[in-house]
Amino acid sequence: MTSPKLDRRQLLKLEAAAIAATAAGMPVPALAANVITERNAAELEWNKAPCRFCGTGCSVIVATKDNRVVATHGDIKSEVNRGLNCVKGYFLSKIMYGHDRLTQPMLRKTGGKYDKNGEFTPVSWDEAFDIMAEKFKDALKKRGPSGVGMFGSGQWTIWEGYAASKLLKAGFRSNNIDPNARHCMASAVAGMMRTFGIDEPAGCYDDIEATDAFVLWGSNMAEMHPILWTRVTDRRLSAPHVRVAVLSTFEHRSFDLADIGMVFVPQTDLYILNAIANHIIKTGRVNKAFVDAHTVFKRGQTDIGYGLRPDHPLEKKATGAAKANDATDMSYDEFAKFVADYTLEKAAEMSGVPLNRIRELAELYADPKTKVVSFWTMGFNQHTRGVWCNNLVYNIHLLTGKIATAGNSPFSLTGQPSACGTAREVGTFSHRLPADMLVANKAHRDIAEKIWQLPEGTIPDKPGYHAVLQSRMLRDGKLNAYWVQVNNNLQAGANINEETLPGFRNPENFIVVSDAYPTVTALAADLILPAAMWVEKEGAYGNAERRTQFWHQLVKAPGESRSDLWQLMEFSKRFKIEEVWPEELLAKKPEYRGKTMFDVLYRNGVVDKYPVSDIEAGYANDEAKAFGFYVQKGLFEEYASFGRGHGHDLAPFDIYHRERGLRWPVVNGQETRWRFKEGSDPYVRQGTNYQFYGFPDGKARIFALPFEPAAESPDKEYPFWLSTGRVLEHWHSGTMTRRVPELYRAFPEAVCFMHPDDAQEAKLRRGDEVKVISRRGFIRARLETRGRDRPPKGLVFVPWFDESKLINKVTLDATDPISLQTDFKKCAVRIEKVVGS
Amino acid sequence: MMRKVTILLLAAALVAGAGTLAAQTLNSGLRGPAPLNDEGPAPPMAPNKNTAEKEVRNYPEQPPVIPHSIDGYQIDLNGNKCLSCHARARTGESQAPMVSITHFMDRDGQFLASISPRRFFCTECHVPQSTSNPPVSNDFVDIDTLLSRATPGGRR
Amino acid sequence: MSTADGAEKRPGFFARVWKFIVELWGVLIRPSSVFGLGVLVMAGFVAGVIFWGGFNTALELTNTEKFCTGCHEMRDNVFSELKSTIHFTNRSGVRATCPDCHVPHNWTDKIARKMQASKEVWGHIFGRIDTRDKFVDHRLELALHEWARFKANDSLECRNCHSADSMDITKQSPRASVAHQRFLFTGEKTCIDCHKGIAHQLPDMRGIPGWQ
Repeated sequence: MTSPKLDRRQLLKLEAAAIAATAAGMPVPALAANVITERNAAELEWNKAPCRFCGTGCSVIVATKDNRVVATHGDIKSEVNRGLNCVKGYFLSKIMYGHDRLTQPMLRKTGGKYDKNGEFTPVSWDEAFDIMAEKFKDALKKRGPSGVGMFGSGQWTIWEGYAASKLLKAGFRSNNIDPNARHCMASAVAGMMRTFGIDEPAGCYDDIEATDAFVLWGSNMAEMHPILWTRVTDRRLSAPHVRVAVLSTFEHRSFDLADIGMVFVPQTDLYILNAIANHIIKTGRVNKAFVDAHTVFKRGQTDIGYGLRPDHPLEKKATGAAKANDATDMSYDEFAKFVADYTLEKAAEMSGVPLNRIRELAELYADPKTKVVSFWTMGFNQHTRGVWCNNLVYNIHLLTGKIATAGNSPFSLTGQPSACGTAREVGTFSHRLPADMLVANKAHRDIAEKIWQLPEGTIPDKPGYHAVLQSRMLRDGKLNAYWVQVNNNLQAGANINEETLPGFRNPENFIVVSDAYPTVTALAADLILPAAMWVEKEGAYGNAERRTQFWHQLVKAPGESRSDLWQLMEFSKRFKIEEVWPEELLAKKPEYRGKTMFDVLYRNGVVDKYPVSDIEAGYANDEAKAFGFYVQKGLFEEYASFGRGHGHDLAPFDIYHRERGLRWPVVNGQETRWRFKEGSDPYVRQGTNYQFYGFPDGKARIFALPFEPAAESPDKEYPFWLSTGRVLEHWHSGTMTRRVPELYRAFPEAVCFMHPDDAQEAKLRRGDEVKVISRRGFIRARLETRGRDRPPKGLVFVPWFDESKLINKVTLDATDPISLQTDFKKCAVRIEKVVGS
Repeated sequence: MMRKVTILLLAAALVAGAGTLAAQTLNSGLRGPAPLNDEGPAPPMAPNKNTAEKEVRNYPEQPPVIPHSIDGYQIDLNGNKCLSCHARARTGESQAPMVSITHFMDRDGQFLASISPRRFFCTECHVPQSTSNPPVSNDFVDIDTLLSRATPGGRR
Repeated sequence: MSTADGAEKRPGFFARVWKFIVELWGVLIRPSSVFGLGVLVMAGFVAGVIFWGGFNTALELTNTEKFCTGCHEMRDNVFSELKSTIHFTNRSGVRATCPDCHVPHNWTDKIARKMQASKEVWGHIFGRIDTRDKFVDHRLELALHEWARFKANDSLECRNCHSADSMDITKQSPRASVAHQRFLFTGEKTCIDCHKGIAHQLPDMRGIPGWQ
């Protein structure tokens, strides 16, 4: 170990000691005998790691002893959380130790042979990969590259997502790879691509301490981004002039800090957004100089449908579905005329929000002296017009020039720890390549093929199956070999009954699920691969503010479980390149003949460039040990070459192990806090002031987009809106958090939140067992008329963390036709009492 | 029509699933016994623990769980019910534990005269506990237990 | 001008009233020539019962939750807030209605409170709190009135149901049991000192004792 490294680790220990010393309520031993006096025994190994849960990207300090995590606490050195964690983060120490951890591959077998209807039987990794390779080869033979697919997530580490993307797009030549970020971030991505021509926010979390007003559009930060909420709370309570506006379709904990709380009728956010733009124009508060210099106006395609199956009546009716993403030029005056119909009065009438509150909200944006941060997450993104919502909120910030400077920030929050880092930046979507490039763009494919040392034409030129389409194709028997990693789509995806479950159990398909625990997705699969998690492997995540963070492997994974990275790379050895590429492609690179996919993709002279000795002394690295080179570093450096010099610059690999993350673009060792603004973004040309360089003309787009109704609204038969979402104590499908007893007990089971008057009218009472029924399926849950979520009359809210109440059997798989992201917030249900309960 | 199709599909899924899913040996305690193509009953809502007894922390940095019910406790712009017992000045009367001194530190590590606004919403970190039992246990081993073990590494 | 014209034609208002009073007095003191004394007393008694009964019935009518929640200021603010609390639903099903807590049970206090309530009618007519925002703006003032009343009468309306003597502390949670023994049974505090905000949301609590 070299001395600077020692210093850093000692520093970590010192910090940890400082925290421990200041932590009050520490059990003070009554007897000296209870104190561990032997220094060696009492000493813990402390290391940094980003939190495993949401997109906030808090840094955590992890204590290990004897190959076990024994404690965690918030990292005081982290800019993001400065020593704080939320309740989930504080219990990270326990997420790996659920009693039913999977420790060996399990294959469905009958009589010692694979059988789709057999029982899960422990098998060796060899046997697992044998059958898996056989099934993938069968599917390739039967259908070509479109017969295989993969579903990953924003919880993949950066190199895992990168390796997976390469395996599918370059190896199998299939673009059928999508992350569950499709359920989460796709509308935000499409929104940014349409408005700015480049993905990810202009601002960063530093905006929180600099702003005068926060507007939460459908976001419940108090529960979903708790640590950012502590920063918002800090700002609001420390600076009394600061205002907090919260918009949602039901009241929740974020309303506790709201100066202006607004509950609106689902889908009418489109109205409110346009009305604010109109108010800004009508009251003469448009920042003319900014608008003239840095924006252009576009009229978006309308009547774009709902992303349902093509034979659905709503799709047949939609005239603009085929060109949903199109737009035509328009002038400022035409735009002003377009929004003129959207008055505050009409917005109040449509949304049910009192006019004075809508006016107060509009004034926050319109007043040139008020700096505004807008936050949103699933309320906007999980919306059949989610991309539009994103565009419309940018409109407001662009009309007033409130963007890209400290405190002025339209900011899209993310749900997963690496939704940005892995899903978006690496481009694990069915239509993307690294650094915002697209598979449909020849020039982009050329760049990727060059970096990956592939013959021209390797990467298919059409987007593959996206998340929702994957489920439909599984059900239709067109996607036959399917690998799911780090996600639980049988719980998380919409319309499980009609699409996902029949798709998984379709006898034509072979389903592989890699997970650490027996999730419902794993139980519905044919082969389960036990996965290493979090600090059982070396990893990297990218959070919502473009911050890339690394961690070292700190403990060994239990039993035979292996990281997703090892699984991907090891599996690639099972294919000769001749088995996956056609002859004409091979002819362009004859030197690849006889090689395996592993050789071509990962032993390509770049990925395997860094020796095991590059690994920081004192840390294990099971993947490097298995493959004989520093896998993570090689993958990262190859991946980073996509973005360096193109506005996506990442720092050299080793820097990240030292820093508490850096926000890209990192140019000359400097991170970027505000993009598109001269002086803070190195990519902005001198003298331009602002430059939205995602588009060649350097201008952002302001979109004219109307109100259009939801895909399914309440009616006589199904009189309630159903909204789904998360709770503070559980992360996503609860796979990790529900195995921590303290978190389980904090919110043991999902309930159906309902207005007390609705309950009374339906002769229901708190605690009654009810069925939540839609046209697609039902769940059984207990009725809750109190507590943290307070829906208005006519709406019920059911969180989706509980696998014993699969609420996504009830939801509709309608998507935004542009982003292809599902609307989990709106469908129609009825509530029935369970008789005899 | 739509409903009929749904029912048919459901039936098909049931038939397809019945053979396969009933036979599995692997199970999820969190899901319970209901097969994936059906939904099991929802157990009654269990009340929260309501005692004054502290629970042992898993490690010193863990925020203590709330041993008592906090139903109806208001924490918002108007006030903080928790602090009406746990604030320094209130603990004499309430005999409740005082909020940790870490809570007086702001983002930059400076000690303030009162609790830092960023710590205002107690329930971000401190949660009450239901009396229901988690169906899956956790094998986390705390440091004291680990150090007193004969074989390091424990279960693994 | 019309008033001037009227003044010329008829006597003044006070003169007319005085004349009426003198005539009425004359009738009242004149002995009856038709009914006997007993009949008159009985009739008076019956009339009194009817009048008093009617008055009380009317008064009681204003003492129902239905009356209280008849106007939206109550229904959409305090009453809807009450619905999610233990005073609305609980394990034994004994619930508190608005007047249980907000109308004194003894007669003189009740009448005094009812006279005060005329001010609330005034407020209703002139829309003093006719929106949620206006109500929230006045919440502190309204709450202070009620807290002061509870404090002054030793939380009488709480104690109409929750008698200290009838509390079985072994049935209470440990925290409640200790607090009641230390503060309630010793008379050091009254219910409202600790139990603010149990039935409705709290106003801005800055400066309120116990909430620093």
